[in-house]
Amino acid sequence: MIGTITEFIGHFHPVLVHLPIGILLLAALLFFLSAKEKYQSLRPAVGISLLAGACSAILSCISGYFLSTTDDYDQQLVFQHQWMGIATAILSVLAYLIFKQQKSWFKWIMILLTLMIIVTGHLGGSLTHGSDYLTASLGNIKNNTGNATLKPIADVQEAVLYADVVQPILQSKCYSCHGSNKQKGKLRLDQQEFILKGGKSGETLVAGKTDESEMIKRILLPKEDDDHMPPVEKPQLSKNDIALINWWVASGADFNKKIKELPQNEKIKPVLLALQSGRVTEEIKISAIPLKPVEKARDSILLKLKAAGIMIVPVAQNSNYLSANFITTENIDKHIGLLLSIAPQLIWLKLGNTKVSDSGLAILAKLPNITRLYLDNTKISDVGLQSVKQLKQLQYINLTGTSVTLNGILQLKELKNLQELYLYKSGVTSADYISLKNIFQKTKIDTGGYKLEMIASDTLLVKPPLGK
Amino acid sequence: MKDHSKIINESLEEKNRFFTRRHFLKEASFGFGGLALANLLGGCNFNDSTAASNILFDPANPLLPRSPMFAGKAKSVIYLHMAGAPSQLELFDYKPELMKMDGQDCPQSLLEGKKFAFIRGVPKMLGPQAKFKQHGESGAWISDYLPHLSTIADEVSFLKAVTTDQFNHAPAQLLMHTGSPRLGRPSMGSWVTYGLGTENQNLPGYVVLTSGGRNPDSGKSVWGSGFLPSVYQGVQCRSEGDPVLFLNDPDGISRDLRKASINTINEINQQQYKEFKDPEILSRIAQYEMAYKMQISVPGVMNIADEPQYIHDMYGTKPGKESFANNVLLARKLVEKGVRFVQLFDWGWDAHGTDANLAIDIGHINKCRSVDKAMTALILDLKQRGLLDDVLVVWGGEFGRTPMQENRAGKAVPFKGRDHHTEAFTIWMAGGGIKKGGSYGETDEIGYSSISGKTTAFDIQATILNQLGFNHEKFTYQFQGRPFRLTDVSGRVITEILA
Repeated sequence: MIGTITEFIGHFHPVLVHLPIGILLLAALLFFLSAKEKYQSLRPAVGISLLAGACSAILSCISGYFLSTTDDYDQQLVFQHQWMGIATAILSVLAYLIFKQQKSWFKWIMILLTLMIIVTGHLGGSLTHGSDYLTASLGNIKNNTGNATLKPIADVQEAVLYADVVQPILQSKCYSCHGSNKQKGKLRLDQQEFILKGGKSGETLVAGKTDESEMIKRILLPKEDDDHMPPVEKPQLSKNDIALINWWVASGADFNKKIKELPQNEKIKPVLLALQSGRVTEEIKISAIPLKPVEKARDSILLKLKAAGIMIVPVAQNSNYLSANFITTENIDKHIGLLLSIAPQLIWLKLGNTKVSDSGLAILAKLPNITRLYLDNTKISDVGLQSVKQLKQLQYINLTGTSVTLNGILQLKELKNLQELYLYKSGVTSADYISLKNIFQKTKIDTGGYKLEMIASDTLLVKPPLGK
Repeated sequence: MKDHSKIINESLEEKNRFFTRRHFLKEASFGFGGLALANLLGGCNFNDSTAASNILFDPANPLLPRSPMFAGKAKSVIYLHMAGAPSQLELFDYKPELMKMDGQDCPQSLLEGKKFAFIRGVPKMLGPQAKFKQHGESGAWISDYLPHLSTIADEVSFLKAVTTDQFNHAPAQLLMHTGSPRLGRPSMGSWVTYGLGTENQNLPGYVVLTSGGRNPDSGKSVWGSGFLPSVYQGVQCRSEGDPVLFLNDPDGISRDLRKASINTINEINQQQYKEFKDPEILSRIAQYEMAYKMQISVPGVMNIADEPQYIHDMYGTKPGKESFANNVLLARKLVEKGVRFVQLFDWGWDAHGTDANLAIDIGHINKCRSVDKAMTALILDLKQRGLLDDVLVVWGGEFGRTPMQENRAGKAVPFKGRDHHTEAFTIWMAGGGIKKGGSYGETDEIGYSSISGKTTAFDIQATILNQLGFNHEKFTYQFQGRPFRLTDVSGRVITEILA
């Protein structure tokens, strides 16, 4: 019971501390102003301010003492802050008592008091916000926030799993409460020995046993659970972060081994690959952008394409790869040649619902990086597909509403990356579909023609019973 | 540093809106000083976009396409909103336990401290009126109210524990679409067109279609642009007769003359813009341009009559009449042509049981039948056209319905009905990188409250933005001195239903 009351009082500390800071600084300001003749009338206010400041400083000290007993702060910082605070309170009481005697050296007392308030306040701030809080915004001394936890690693296989991967994750997501300044739950994660020592809830790490490691258990708890880590209001670990930490523990929680020395299963491989390219985790799954970097297309070229009415957009703000859409371009066959100038960057090309012709498509052979190609509802035929077969990177092709036939499609059988092939309302018949299935075994082929059976209830209205 | 320049730029912009000549003379010195300062501080970078997208972006043409933050899966969205709120207990949330309680008094524990729109006193429980079966490999529970959707259960993902904090239609709809129950915030479609522009400059980027005989209760604000430039607001097309009126030039005006006059008007507007720098003038110029281009583009795209008969059979469309099915087919045509966001509202789902049309076991069935075939056809049609991965389809209402039979002022209503319910309802999504045959969230035995996998309007908005390539926490617009987000200070991408 006593404990809860003191804790309650302690929680007033963050509010109370601002009173002595403000009031005592005001007292100093009034004191120095009143030295001037113009502001002499302020002098009586100095005494009152000092009294109020001293009282609030004492209250701050009391509440601060209670707070220091409840939370797990850095002991050294607490010690400094505590005694600086007490000294400030004592000095402010003295200042109030001496002020009336009008000593000439009193101004030195006031200067000292001002300095002590600043130092004490700074120490307090360091306790709550972290010791690098003040300077963090000046330069990336330590990257304490941010979702992009990990910087790209030049060669993932050569990297040390703990030092290059796990530690940076812990640093950005865990250190603020389990580091040198604070040790919530008596746990520190910033050094090997502390991690192995664990916190008050048992073993943080059990090498090779993720389900016995408190750290992994907490991370995997649902967000609503009170024990979930990081706390719900703090930046969360991404899926890849979790996968990496999990893999580290599962593979023995070694602090020195390189990634290549550890067994890699199918699950962790894409995550490791993502580290290499340095892309943020969630994007990996839904991105269809090549991993290989490409140089930026020149502005003058982009403007030229734009002037021709071609909609060119980088596929993402952080990518130089481009998509092109011809939906509102007039005279397509004339302008399509402009694409050559962005051949390295162009990966998505939309020619659907346009007047593009077979001869216009000849250019495709020289656009080797295209992964998605829309030719739906156009006049193209098998002839046009001759150039498509050169597109070794092609993953998706939409030929719905065209007159391409089986023979034309067969030209594409060398495309190893082709995953999706859409042939609804094309010249490909359902009889052809069987043979296509055999040839394109890895490709999802959709010939459409879905029907919804007419059922009685479609047109039948339910009526209220008679008499109602 | 960056934030300061944002505030300065915004305030300058804001000031320009109120610029008058007299003000100009009076404040010229400060204004220019301010401009210089903004320059010195280094012009702000609103979108953090690459130089490549900057060079292509033209402030005089605010609807030009732009890059998402990362390569999103979905390129466009079709949002099907059943205004009035369908009953999850008759459609997707199967509760056999509730059947056993049918007709009994509602337990006090469910009523204490709760507020309902109409229920007063102690209502009776109302068991599920529909017959449920599991469908597809995913084993999703779908009732016989939706026989067609049942056949494609494996294409969609259900969110079965959506919650809201608004129990009246207008605020709940606003919350769902603008992220705030009060007026004044931009709608989701506006945010999306603001972020992505649109790839077809001959059509609006954000189109709204309504059916069911009435606009949604929250009025046009639910597709408004709020504090975003008004060029991003939803363009409502008529759902009966011509979708857009006055497409033909008046007698005696040739197309060339029309173009010349619009050019002249726009030149005057440009001059006006140079003087006043009000972004709304740019909106107006863009609108004139758009109207001119739509004269040509609209008759082809907005006319569903020229679709082949098998498509009409599939959707159940009858051209010329106002219907949800017609709007759905039109929505498919629009996204195919590059429209970014199509928002459908269908009115008449408010099944209180006050009359036969609003009875859970009569009118509500008819409403289901009027949407079931068309929305199923939409999924299948997008699929066969190879567009289902590019288009995110969302279906839902603004809240759910109570497991209790409605009683007004303590008296039972004449038909079987359910009141507005905030604590659990179902929304489904399909395409656009959403998991096929997924389900997330659970409700208790009687479908009263969500017990796990709870989601909110903000989570749905965050998920939609994520699929389009936006981090909802970083996608902001500077207004009144602070950056605003669609999801305000909440929202979590529901990764559980992502493919």
